[in-house]
Amino acid sequence: MSTLLEIRNIFTGYDEADVLSGVSIKIKKGQITCLLGANGSGKTTLIRTILALTQSRSGQIFFDGQEITEKETHDIVRLGISTIPEGRKVFPKLTVKENLLIGAILEKNSIKLSSRFEEVIDIFPQLRNRRNQIAGTMSGGEQAMLSIGRGLMGAPKLLVIDEPSLGLSPLFVKENFKVIHAIKERGITVLLVEQNVKQTLEIADYGYVLSQGHVVADGTAEALANSDQVQSAYFGIQKNKDFEE
Amino acid sequence: MILDFLDQYLVNGLVLGVIYAMVAVGFTLFFGVLNIIKFSHGDVLMAGGFAALLAHQTLTSLGSELTIFNLIVTIIFAVLSMGLLGALAARFLVLPLKAAPPLNTLLITLMLGLAIREAVRLFYPNGSNPKPFPRLLPDTSTTLQTFQIRTDSLIIIFGGLGAILFLHLLIKNTRLGLAIRAIAQDSETARLMGINFRKIVLGTFALGSGLAALAGVANGLYYNEVNFSMGLFLGVVGFSSAVVGGLGSILGAIIGGFLFALLQTLGAIWFTVPAYKDVFAFIIIIVIMACRPTGLLSESSSDRV
Repeated sequence: MSTLLEIRNIFTGYDEADVLSGVSIKIKKGQITCLLGANGSGKTTLIRTILALTQSRSGQIFFDGQEITEKETHDIVRLGISTIPEGRKVFPKLTVKENLLIGAILEKNSIKLSSRFEEVIDIFPQLRNRRNQIAGTMSGGEQAMLSIGRGLMGAPKLLVIDEPSLGLSPLFVKENFKVIHAIKERGITVLLVEQNVKQTLEIADYGYVLSQGHVVADGTAEALANSDQVQSAYFGIQKNKDFEE
Repeated sequence: MILDFLDQYLVNGLVLGVIYAMVAVGFTLFFGVLNIIKFSHGDVLMAGGFAALLAHQTLTSLGSELTIFNLIVTIIFAVLSMGLLGALAARFLVLPLKAAPPLNTLLITLMLGLAIREAVRLFYPNGSNPKPFPRLLPDTSTTLQTFQIRTDSLIIIFGGLGAILFLHLLIKNTRLGLAIRAIAQDSETARLMGINFRKIVLGTFALGSGLAALAGVANGLYYNEVNFSMGLFLGVVGFSSAVVGGLGSILGAIIGGFLFALLQTLGAIWFTVPAYKDVFAFIIIIVIMACRPTGLLSESSSDRV
């Protein structure tokens, strides 16, 4: 299977300290690749680096066969990367419909636009009756749906999903994972950043574990699910220490 | 006695209100997308008036005598040239300072205003004296029972309201408008949607500056005069109107503009010394700001841009 996104030896830092020190990652077409790691391990910085919201010091990033390291955010998005940002970040004062339309603001063809709108509304039927509601007045779970719907409106090749279940009730978290799996079934490649290790590895194909700005482990989801390194990257303790206590 | 002139006061107040609202809308737009105050806005208005004058002189020297044609070309030239000036100011002064403290942007636009003002004074022939502005609007008047309304006032009022309405519809209903509102609410997420931040900021500055030019032309047509320092007062009034209405809200800016004109008109009715009307208006504005520091339509209760 061919590679859609490749990160080669990226160094990124704020001020003097490096947050990412030589991270290399490959995302295969049609797969769900997940990024695991505790808070502060550099997951969000890696995503910001891919999208040029934070500038890298050195290293290269390739998307769909071309280098995007020096490109600006809107040009990268234009190549086919949609993002469901951490905290959902719906535009609070726009209506549901406007939020969805903004996800496809680069699409000038109105026929394609309305068919995509219908497609997304079919995935989230709850949004249909609320299309004129102001997004900021919706519940967290509904905003999560809207944010995912907005990401799909761009008809991306790669969908970057950052902490989708943060702050949601367990019921919605479960629903979210189903939706992400369904997105993959539609042929969209997914880069998923999550704290929910178990549920993430259940739907992911491949995963990388970040710790203090380094990739400390990578492998298929199955292999990672049984790996001690995943445990230690999250909890900072070895599995066998648990037994000693 | 004074009530005999009530119709004149009313019409005069409406004309001023429309002009102030056009200036205030610019301030509110700039604040909406970039969180900055652009203090050269009043001087852009003045330059718009002079650009119109220049266009008209060129037209008449070329032998164009059709008033309506001259008026339209004059307005288009003023709006486009000031739109370009606004975009250039955004590109070379405001955007490079995006990461700097807002005070720096405020200072540099204050300096830009000074530069525009002095440039007009120095380079426009005999620029330090007031210039007569051509009467391009019909000087007829309509009488409705006891109300007498000059046609030029009516044209300015409806033309200005039309321009503001046009801008409002543009922001509510077009892709450009959607992008402007997205940038105003959350510029980083807007960029993640593929919106070109720089392009939208330039577009917004062009729009706001074009509207200021229109206000400058309206002001020139109404008073039949432009002078190099008229932007100072109108800039302060437009800024106060935008702030009192609630910075970031277009409706607030319109309300603020008309409120200021209303206060000035009341001041003119109550005080015999004409200059007191501005003092009165500014005092009331200060009182309102003290009671409602976020403006009449504050962020929470209104759409930002």
